[in-house]
Amino acid sequence: MATREHVEGVVHKAIDEILPGVEIDGRAHLKDLGADSVDRVEIIMAVLDRLGVREPLSSFGGVPSVDALVDFLWERVR
Amino acid sequence: MNVGIEALNVYCGLAQIPVPELFEGRGLDAERLGNLMMRNRSVGLPFEDPVTNAVNAARPIAAGEDRIEILITSTESGLDYSKSVASYVHEYLGLPRSCRVVEVKQACYAATAAVQLAAAYVASGVSPGAKALVIATDVALVDERAAYAEPAMGAGAAAVLISDRPRVLDLDLGAFGNHSYETMDSARPGPTFDIADSDRSLFAYLDCLTSCLAGYRSRVEDADFATTFDHLAMHTPFAGMVKAAHRKLMRESGGGTASIEEDFERRVLPSLAYPRRVGNLCSGSVYLALASLIDHAALDGPARVGLYSYGSGCSSEFFSGLVDEESASTLAGMRIGEHLDGRCELGFDEYAALLPDTLTCLVPERDRQVDVGAYEHLLSRARFDRDLLVNTGTKDYHRTYEWLAP
Repeated sequence: MATREHVEGVVHKAIDEILPGVEIDGRAHLKDLGADSVDRVEIIMAVLDRLGVREPLSSFGGVPSVDALVDFLWERVR
Repeated sequence: MNVGIEALNVYCGLAQIPVPELFEGRGLDAERLGNLMMRNRSVGLPFEDPVTNAVNAARPIAAGEDRIEILITSTESGLDYSKSVASYVHEYLGLPRSCRVVEVKQACYAATAAVQLAAAYVASGVSPGAKALVIATDVALVDERAAYAEPAMGAGAAAVLISDRPRVLDLDLGAFGNHSYETMDSARPGPTFDIADSDRSLFAYLDCLTSCLAGYRSRVEDADFATTFDHLAMHTPFAGMVKAAHRKLMRESGGGTASIEEDFERRVLPSLAYPRRVGNLCSGSVYLALASLIDHAALDGPARVGLYSYGSGCSSEFFSGLVDEESASTLAGMRIGEHLDGRCELGFDEYAALLPDTLTCLVPERDRQVDVGAYEHLLSRARFDRDLLVNTGTKDYHRTYEWLAP
């Protein structure tokens, strides 16, 4: 079973691929890390792919931070 | 019976500003230009409004037509709670009084609803030989408050003539998929401003595309995003969003990621040439993309185009049709590229000085005068070779118009 740490690792890796070298503050919104709307789509799609989660993108509209994104995904994989 | 688009034209105003110039003027982060993929945005002048844009787009394809029985304007830039933009357009196009006249609204999707309803009317045979004129027309209401949406917004109109002589796009009747649900991703609550939630809107656009494709596949056996369509033309809020949409659908259809970029350049990029020079044309956007595709793709035989229309709020549709060499030769007569080249290029200060007037062009005023001559310094830098309709103000709330000679 996936741990929260695993989900967090997948999310952080996807962020790093789209925003190379960015310092990831879990309390920050992806926007605050410098991700524009296309970057945000790419990050979320990459994470969904790698975790094998099927979820409409619209579910992620109100997710306020990277940590909240990890929690949201962990709820769906565990 | 074959039914579809017999003629298509766009009018995207007389002025434009390069997107990098607007970024610099607003102090926006130039690193974002890459994902935005926009080059210019059309800018309305104070004597242009949804009526002038519609008439100026439609006149070349409506001239000489005597079987137009339905006129539909689609707009999110309405001028009155009761009186339609279409009522003015009907007058200035000189359409017959036997014509049905109506305006529709569903953000950037409405024109496609109108096209599909008009095509079904033509196909029904209730009035053999009848044609319908659908005009998507809008103005932009953005300034610095819109941040990164400002450089992506366009202005203008797209006009399509629906008939049983589909020289531009032969619709695949019955091949479509729809998806609609209530959401507040963007809206225009009043006549001077828009509101938008960029993530909600982008995610809804992408979710709806996936769902519309599923709906399309339920009607068309074996349809596949990666292989069924030779080309794609999509609603283009900004070109980078279409690229993201294509990437998502290719992943979902199981295509290898290695070939996605090549596929994008071959099947999608020709449809973005005009949108990248105009900005989001709202409900005319997918038809601007279609025009771009036909003018830029090498069409040497029948080619199937997948079209995607999305309107905030939201409602969406994926449908398809065939284009060929005749589509290219028919559309070439509209000289759309020349029209876009002829727009006056604005500097940031000129652009900013126009906004107080252009942002109020939908506000009802009992009496108002617009002095077209005051903009001669811009008009003299624009190239156009036919009479254009211009708004000269209002008189007792009735909008007044004149023809401007080249």
